[in-house]
Amino acid sequence: MGKIVEVSHLKKSFGDLEVLKDITFDVEEGEVVCLIGPSGSGKSTLLRCLNRLEEKQGGTINILGENLDCVKNLNAFRQSIGMVFQHFNLFPNYTVLENMTIAPTMLKGIKKEDARQMAEKLLDRVGLLDKKNVYPVTLSGGQKQRVAIARALCMQPKVMLFDEPTSALDPEMVGEVLDVMKQLAKEGMTMIVVTHEMGFARDVANRIIFMDDGLIVEEAPPQEMFKNPKTERCKNFLESVL
Amino acid sequence: MADYFSLFAKYLPLLLKGLQNTIIIAIGGVILGTILGIVLCILSISKNVILQKIANFYVTIVRGIPLMILALFLYFGVIKNALPVLTSAIIILGINASAFIAEIFRAGILAIDPGQMEAARSLGMSYFQAMGKIILPQAFKIMIPSLMNQFIAALKDTSILSAISVTELTMSAKTIIARTYKAFELYSFALIIYVVVITTLTFISKKIEQKLSYDKR
Repeated sequence: MGKIVEVSHLKKSFGDLEVLKDITFDVEEGEVVCLIGPSGSGKSTLLRCLNRLEEKQGGTINILGENLDCVKNLNAFRQSIGMVFQHFNLFPNYTVLENMTIAPTMLKGIKKEDARQMAEKLLDRVGLLDKKNVYPVTLSGGQKQRVAIARALCMQPKVMLFDEPTSALDPEMVGEVLDVMKQLAKEGMTMIVVTHEMGFARDVANRIIFMDDGLIVEEAPPQEMFKNPKTERCKNFLESVL
Repeated sequence: MADYFSLFAKYLPLLLKGLQNTIIIAIGGVILGTILGIVLCILSISKNVILQKIANFYVTIVRGIPLMILALFLYFGVIKNALPVLTSAIIILGINASAFIAEIFRAGILAIDPGQMEAARSLGMSYFQAMGKIILPQAFKIMIPSLMNQFIAALKDTSILSAISVTELTMSAKTIIARTYKAFELYSFALIIYVVVITTLTFISKKIEQKLSYDKR
């Protein structure tokens, strides 16, 4: 199995604020890695650096074996990195189906009909085939996020980034989104998930990375981290959220 | 009273000819203003500081000049006899409107959640693809009421352009008054025509607004 993501000595600041101080980690193909840690620890920023929604100040990032700084066509490269956002970011002026097919037809030259079939298959997988012709405004938060996941999958990415996908949801809708993610993990998708859902991290992740203050404090498989965290900071954090 | 109506009937064709020019100038001015406004808006939301400054400078200056003086300066000072008066009027109104329309576009685009651009970019769209397919269609809906307002304002502003003797509605009334001395009658006719046209436009713009809202779907 090859390395999908390799990050070394990544640094990122907003003005004087150093958000990421020195981040180094790898993700193997098919691995599910959860990033946890207190708010403001840099988890989301780290994730956003991986598809260059944020520009880093130092270090190197290799994705799918390519150095992110040397990628010639960033737009084409981004097609292989799926991203799911906290606030879904569905396009309100398009129907669910159009949300999913607009990028594949526009960017990959896939025929409308083929894109529609693929989108319907994915919608069926997330249990929302009956919603294909409605506008996002009529969907619940959980449904929106499931569509957002399906939309990202429609580009057939090699790796999926999840930026707190359940944080903006009502509690009773968290489960339906996590189920979709679990299924995706089972199918072998490489996933990096920023989350506060410790249950999900424990059940699904191969590895958990605990971040605090712009640094990776601890990195371990879930059983190990939840049973005996090595550092005091990690222990305190886990005690406060579990 | 009968006199009043017979006067109205007598001069209506002439006044309507003036109205025709008023509408041509307003539409032409707003179209030109929109083209200039989009260019200015692209400059002002670009990341290049110099381009931003140029756009800001233009908007500040144009917004600071009363339309009357802009018209007199451009027509008698710059254009002179180089262009027909109707074309000049459209250019003057277009320049005046461009500053406001640029701001309308900017506000419309900035009102769209940045997450929309991020989602589009993360799917692999280029900046311009995302703008064209995702951001602008949404921004346009927000802008329509303001653009309609701008058009109505432009329509009223055309009366100021009588200062450069373009035969729009106000100028037509003035010309007739110069012959007949019936100021009350002719200005009231013009006034009524303005109110009817502008009220109709306002009504149409409200209808468009309702049709385009997302909640209706």
